[in-house]
Amino acid sequence: MCPTRRAATSPDRPSAAHSERVLHISGLRKAYGGVDALRGVDLDIAAGEVAALLGPNGAGKTTLISIVSGLRRADAGVVEVDGLDALARTADVRSRIGLAAQDTGVYPVVSVRHNLMLFGELAGLNRGSLRIRIDDVAEALDITDLLDRKAGSLSGGQKRRVHTAIALLHRPRLLLLDEATTGADVETRARILDLVRHTAAEGSAVLYSTHYLAEVESLGSGVVILDRGQVIADGDVHELVGAHAMPVVELTFNGEIPARLREGGVTEDGRRLRIPTGNPAATLVELLPQVPGGALASVEIVHPSLEAVYLALTGRRYDEADSEGSTEESHVTST
Amino acid sequence: MSLRRSSAILRHEMRVMLTDPSTVIFVILMPLLMVALMKQLFANTLAQEGFTGTNGSEFAVPGMAVSFAAFSVGYAGFSFFRDHGWGTWDRLRASPATSADLMVGKVLPTVGVSVVQLGVLFLLGGPLFGLTITGSVAGVVLLIIVLALALSAFGMLVTAMARTMNQLNAIGSVGGMAMSMVGGSFVPVSAMPGWAQAVAPAMPTYWAMKGFRSLILEHGGLADVLGPVLVLAGFGVVFTGLAAWRFRFEETKVYWG
Repeated sequence: MCPTRRAATSPDRPSAAHSERVLHISGLRKAYGGVDALRGVDLDIAAGEVAALLGPNGAGKTTLISIVSGLRRADAGVVEVDGLDALARTADVRSRIGLAAQDTGVYPVVSVRHNLMLFGELAGLNRGSLRIRIDDVAEALDITDLLDRKAGSLSGGQKRRVHTAIALLHRPRLLLLDEATTGADVETRARILDLVRHTAAEGSAVLYSTHYLAEVESLGSGVVILDRGQVIADGDVHELVGAHAMPVVELTFNGEIPARLREGGVTEDGRRLRIPTGNPAATLVELLPQVPGGALASVEIVHPSLEAVYLALTGRRYDEADSEGSTEESHVTST
Repeated sequence: MSLRRSSAILRHEMRVMLTDPSTVIFVILMPLLMVALMKQLFANTLAQEGFTGTNGSEFAVPGMAVSFAAFSVGYAGFSFFRDHGWGTWDRLRASPATSADLMVGKVLPTVGVSVVQLGVLFLLGGPLFGLTITGSVAGVVLLIIVLALALSAFGMLVTAMARTMNQLNAIGSVGGMAMSMVGGSFVPVSAMPGWAQAVAPAMPTYWAMKGFRSLILEHGGLADVLGPVLVLAGFGVVFTGLAAWRFRFEETKVYWG
């Protein structure tokens, strides 16, 4: 079981989780050519915990993971893995981290087994234990039958699984998965999500970056929402939804929003009007008669979900076009 | 640096290299063909220099061996660019392998290719072209190894300087050609213009040819090639130092373009 995630600033954060924390990030900053990518990120992940790092493209997810894994340098801040300074990028720290970066990285001209052997050896596994671990991770990701095939001959989803398997070989204390399911088929996605749960259950800390809201909800894990380089929410997914998200009725108009609808606790976004409500159906029954004929382009009900949390915290809809993939938020759309 | 990790990278690089040995075969076969084509030309040059009983292979074999080893300097960098193209470079960098592990593991196979390339030419030089080594065979082996190390170190420097594969090819080709032509391995120094003769000692290939000339034509022993060996080792140290100074492990190299 994953322990419950609490907001980083919460006074009731479990002290046990603190003492077992694997990843500690404090005041992490990074800019590219004057543009801030990370603006003082604080984050802790305990052993056995999954933290889904959620945010649209450009939020800073890959930058954060790249710095933790030692691929990029930070401008300021602290990153510790098992209490060791991760910014020093020593072999000792890196042997505790398993990284599956956003872009698949496998050697296409050699077999899957040889790919796994190389990175297993670099991680310090001896031949005997490496052989056993290769069988274990291959079984977990259903790539046993592919072990002796050239990696270049595999499908995209199969390569993605090999790519993920490499990160797991040495039982890392901290598993970093950056957009691990982007472009993956349904089966690969399910395998990877199962693996994330299993890896955490075995005592590793997992930082799982994604921009698929539905994945985070199905994982039921802790969630860290990153927006424009800052952590805007950090907690258990169900608690966050409960705390921040009220159903929202969203009306999109063809022209200007009628003045009489602009009253009360509504928010506007261009031609969109958003009305938080405990009873969307009653709100619609009340509002629709007030809308002039032909003025309404669409009606949408955003049910309590991470989408609604994001909306409540940022005032913006989570950009699904950015996310490329399908999500499963509860939307009802009518025109 | 960890011997175990660099050895894992080295064995992996050899495995990758053997999946497509055509480049290695080409760099071995091509100089053999060139020796066959140019041997007679060099026979005349050696005769003019006063060497009797020679057939031209005494210059053609070491000359073509050294020239093609120099032409191949860019090969040392290929495995770095290839890893960027395959997305495996960041994977290696995120592993516990250090920069030194990566350098050693990736460069030693190209040193090996260079040694094999040079060695095969000398081995076949006798049966195919009538080459006779009058001096120390151990000296030839030593010179081959030190030259391969120096050229691979130059290859690393070129790799460190290049950001794209095209730059690697361009700088590697120009550097290799300059070394070969000006260093006197493609054309004997005695046949070069005065200014080129003055510049020639700045090239590692010049010292390699000087050593081979002593060992093949002048009954030279190990002591006679100590100078060229030390100079080549010096080139290797300087190139390695410059490469280590210039190499940016976090730099994104462009595989194509």
